[in-house]
Amino acid sequence: MQQVLLFVLLGLGSGALIACIALAVVLTYRGAGIINLASGALAMLSGYTFWSLTSGQYGGVEFATAPALVLTFVITLLFGALIELVAFRPLRNAAPLAKLVSSLGVLLVAQASMVLAFGVTQKPQKSVLPSGTVHVFGTTVPVDRFILAGIVIAMAVALTLVYRFTRFGLATRAASESEPSALLAGLSANGLSLANTLLACVVAGTLGVLAASVTQLDAISLPLLVVPALAAALLARLTSFAIACVAGLGIGIINSLVDYFSTKSWFPTDHGVPLPGVKELIAFLLIVVAMFLRGAALPARGELVERRLPEVPRPGRVALPALGLALVCAVALIVLPFDFRQALINSMIGTIMALSLVVVTGYVGQISVVQLSLAGVAGFAVSHMAVDAGIGFPLAPLAGTAAAVVLGVLTAVSALRVRGVSLAVVTLGAAVAISQFGFVNSTWGGGDTGSPVPEPHLFGLDLGPHSAFRGLDGGLPSPVFGWVVLAITLALCLLVAGIRRGGLGMQMLAVRSNERAAAAAGTDVRAVKLTAFAISAFIAGVAGTLYAYNFGSVSDERFDALTALSLIAFAYVGGVTLISGALFAGLISTEALFPHAFDKWLGISGNWFLLFGGVILIFTLIQHPEGVAGAIYKRLHPRRGPGVPSSGATPSLAARRASPSAAVER
Amino acid sequence: MNETLHASGVSVHYGGVQALADVDLEVNEGELVGLIGPNGAGKTTFVDALTGFARYTGTVSIDGRDLAGMAAHQRARLGLTRTWQSTELFDDLTVSENLAVGSRRPSPWQAAKDLISSQAASTPAIEQALDLVELGWAADLMPDELSQGQRKLVGVARAIATVPRLMLLDEPAAGLDTAESEELGRRLRSLAHAGTAMLLIEHDMGLVLGVCDRIVVLEFGKVIAAGTPEEVRRDPRVVEAYLGSAGAQRAAESLDA
Repeated sequence: MQQVLLFVLLGLGSGALIACIALAVVLTYRGAGIINLASGALAMLSGYTFWSLTSGQYGGVEFATAPALVLTFVITLLFGALIELVAFRPLRNAAPLAKLVSSLGVLLVAQASMVLAFGVTQKPQKSVLPSGTVHVFGTTVPVDRFILAGIVIAMAVALTLVYRFTRFGLATRAASESEPSALLAGLSANGLSLANTLLACVVAGTLGVLAASVTQLDAISLPLLVVPALAAALLARLTSFAIACVAGLGIGIINSLVDYFSTKSWFPTDHGVPLPGVKELIAFLLIVVAMFLRGAALPARGELVERRLPEVPRPGRVALPALGLALVCAVALIVLPFDFRQALINSMIGTIMALSLVVVTGYVGQISVVQLSLAGVAGFAVSHMAVDAGIGFPLAPLAGTAAAVVLGVLTAVSALRVRGVSLAVVTLGAAVAISQFGFVNSTWGGGDTGSPVPEPHLFGLDLGPHSAFRGLDGGLPSPVFGWVVLAITLALCLLVAGIRRGGLGMQMLAVRSNERAAAAAGTDVRAVKLTAFAISAFIAGVAGTLYAYNFGSVSDERFDALTALSLIAFAYVGGVTLISGALFAGLISTEALFPHAFDKWLGISGNWFLLFGGVILIFTLIQHPEGVAGAIYKRLHPRRGPGVPSSGATPSLAARRASPSAAVER
Repeated sequence: MNETLHASGVSVHYGGVQALADVDLEVNEGELVGLIGPNGAGKTTFVDALTGFARYTGTVSIDGRDLAGMAAHQRARLGLTRTWQSTELFDDLTVSENLAVGSRRPSPWQAAKDLISSQAASTPAIEQALDLVELGWAADLMPDELSQGQRKLVGVARAIATVPRLMLLDEPAAGLDTAESEELGRRLRSLAHAGTAMLLIEHDMGLVLGVCDRIVVLEFGKVIAAGTPEEVRRDPRVVEAYLGSAGAQRAAESLDA
C-alpha cells in the first residue's frame, strides 16, 4: 500500500508536465482558436534552451542557474512571438484543418531542429528545484514532486482568476464567443491571440525547464506528451483551467501506477517484458470518454469569416493522361537506377496513402490521423498470417485489407458523433495507442526487430521486389514489383476520380458542405460517412500491404503517430482535395523521389528534410491554402465573378460571401 | 381530392418553451397553401418538425403514411422536400450537382457503374427544374458565383428537381425584387397545377395573397386563422396579430370608412 502511495506521489512529476501542456492547449485554443499540436514541443524548446545555456554546449559559456532561467524566459517569449506571427496569425481565418496542420508544421520544425541540434539521446537536465526528500505516511518522496504539482496548481488558479476578473480575460472570452462583436467593441483579436500564445509558451516552458529534471529531456517523447495533455484538455472542454490541471495530474499519477503495476507478477507480459503501450491506450480511452461524456462538439468559436476546405473540382477526362503517366512510370521503372527505382515505388505507395486522405478529408471533410495505423494493421496482418499461419499471397493481403476496413468503420462509428478538429484529436489518440499497444508488441506487432514478410507469388511468378527481372542496372528492387504497385496506384487513382464524378461523390461533398441540407435532400449522412471511411480504410489497407512487401518486413516506426502526422502534412501541401495533390504528396513523402533527390544531390536528408518540410508546409498553408495542386488548378481555371449574366441582381461582395452558416434563424 | 399532407396535433418544445402547440394542417394534392404569421410564430419550426429536424409530438403523414420515427433523409425520400430560409446550398458543388444530390438517388449498382462511366451530372429533371427558375445558364457555376436572389432560386430548383409530393418553401422570395417575386409566384402556381402539394412560408403578402388557395395563420405557435386569402385578409385576429391592437383599430376604421 505504501508502494502504491509512493508511486502516486512520484506521478505528480510527469503529471505536472502533462497538466501544464494541457493548460497551454486550453490557452491557445481560447486565444487563437487553434488546437496546438506543438504544445508539447513548446515545453521541449524551453527545456533544451535551458540545458544548452547551463551546460555550455552552445556559445561556450556555462551560465549559472539564475541568469540561465532569465535568458530561457526571454528566449521562450521570442519563440512564442515567432510562432504566433509566422504560423498562427496569417491563418486566423483559415479552415480548422489548416490551423491544425499549421501547428503540426510548428511541431515538425521544432522537433527536427532539436534532433539536429541535440541528437536523440536524453539529456540530463540540471535540477533547479531543491533535491531533499520528505516523509509522507511512511514513505520517502522527493520534495520536488510536490513543488512541481504546486507550481502547476498555482498557474491554473492564476489563469482562472486572470480569465475571470481581468479585462484581458474578459476580452479573450468575448473574442472567442464572437469575433465580430469583439471587433466592434474595439478589441484587437490579433493582440489577444498573441498574448495567449505567449502565455501558453511560458506555462509550457516553465515545466519544460523544471520537470525535465524529474522526467526526461528528449526530442521524441516530450512533443508526444501532447496526446495525454489533449485528453486532459478535452476533459476540461478546452475551457476550464482547473479541470485541465487536475486531469493532467491525474493522468500522470495513472501512468506512474502503470509503471508500478508493470513490475508485478500479475501484470500481463509480452515475451517476458511488461505489456507495452498501456499508458497510450489509457490516454486514448480517456479521450474517447471525454468526447462522449462532455458532448461531442468542442465549444464552437464565433468567427468573422466562414471557413471552408479547398474546393473539389469535378475531374475532366482522366483516363488518357493517367495512362500516359503510367506508361512513363512503367518505362522509368526499368531505366532508372535502383535507388531511384526504390524511391519511385515509395512515391507510389505514398500516393496511395494520400489518396485515402483525399476520400476521407478532401471529399467528406473529416480529419483522420488514424489512416496510417490502418495501413499498419494491414501490413502486420500480412506478416503474421504468413509467419504464424502460413497464409500467403493473395489471401493474406485481402484479409489484411479487410481488417483495415473493419477498424476504419469502427473509427467511423465514432466519427458519426465527433467531427472536425475533435475527430482529429480522437484519431491522433487512436494512432498513438495502436502504434504503441499494437505494433510495438512483439506478439501481435513487430517488436524491436520488425516482423518479416515473404515475397508475394502468384501462379509461381514472383511479384515482389526480389523478382528475377532486375531492370537495366540489375539491382534491387525488381521493376516487376514496381509494375504491380503502379497498376494498383493507377486503379486507385481512377477509383477516387470516379467517386468524385459519380453520385456517391456528390453526396460526400454535400455532406461536407452542409449536413442538414444533405439530409433534407434525402442523403443518409451516416451511411455516406461510413462508406467514405470504409473506402478510405480500404485504400490505406492496400497501401499497408504494399509497404509490407516493399520492405520485406513491417516495423512500428513506419506507422507511428509522428509519421502519420507528417503524412497529413504532405497530403495537405500537395492538395488534400485533388488526385493530382495525392500524386504530389506521394512525391514528397518519406523516402520518395523528392527526399531521395535532395539527399543524393544536395545532401539534405532525414531530419533536415523534415525541417525544410515543416517550413515549406507553413509557407504553403499561408500562400496556397488549397495546396500545390490546388494552386495550379486555380491558375488554369479562373473563376467567374458572381451573377453573370445577371438577371437584374447586382453582384456584390455581400451576396458573394453571404453563405449559409450553421446559424439558421428560427 | 387526395390529401397529401395530414398533420394533426403537432407540438414542439424547445426546453421549456412551447414553440408549436397542437397545430392541425392539411395540404391536398395540387394545392398551394400559405403559412403566415409574425416573426417567431413557429412557421420554420413547423417545417423543421415535418421534415425531421425538430422533435415533435402529434402525427404527420404523407399520402396516408405515418412518418413517426423517420429520420430527415427518409422523409425526403418519401417526397417531402424543403427549401431553407438561409438558402443552405452545397457550396462545394456546382449548381447542377446541387440539384443532382436530391434528384439522382443511385442504387448501389448504379453508384458502382458511376465509378467507371463518366456521365454528366445533369438529367432532364435537373434541366427542367433549372429552366423553371430561368437559371439554365448557371448549371456549371459554383453557388458563390451567384447573387443572393439567384442562390435562393437554386434552392427552389433543388427542391423541384426531386419531383416532390409536398414542397415546403421557407421564404423563397426573400432577396428577390417585386417582378422576380411575381414571376416565382406564377411558376409555383403552375407546379401546383401539375399536382405538387405546396406549403409556402412568406413575408411578401402580395405573393401569398396572390397565389395561395388557402392560408393558415400562426401566432405564438398556435393556428389563429385559416381560410381563403380573402377570408384571412378580413379576419380581425390576423390584422391584430400583424399590426397590434391599436393598429387593428385603425385598420378597422379605415375599412369602415
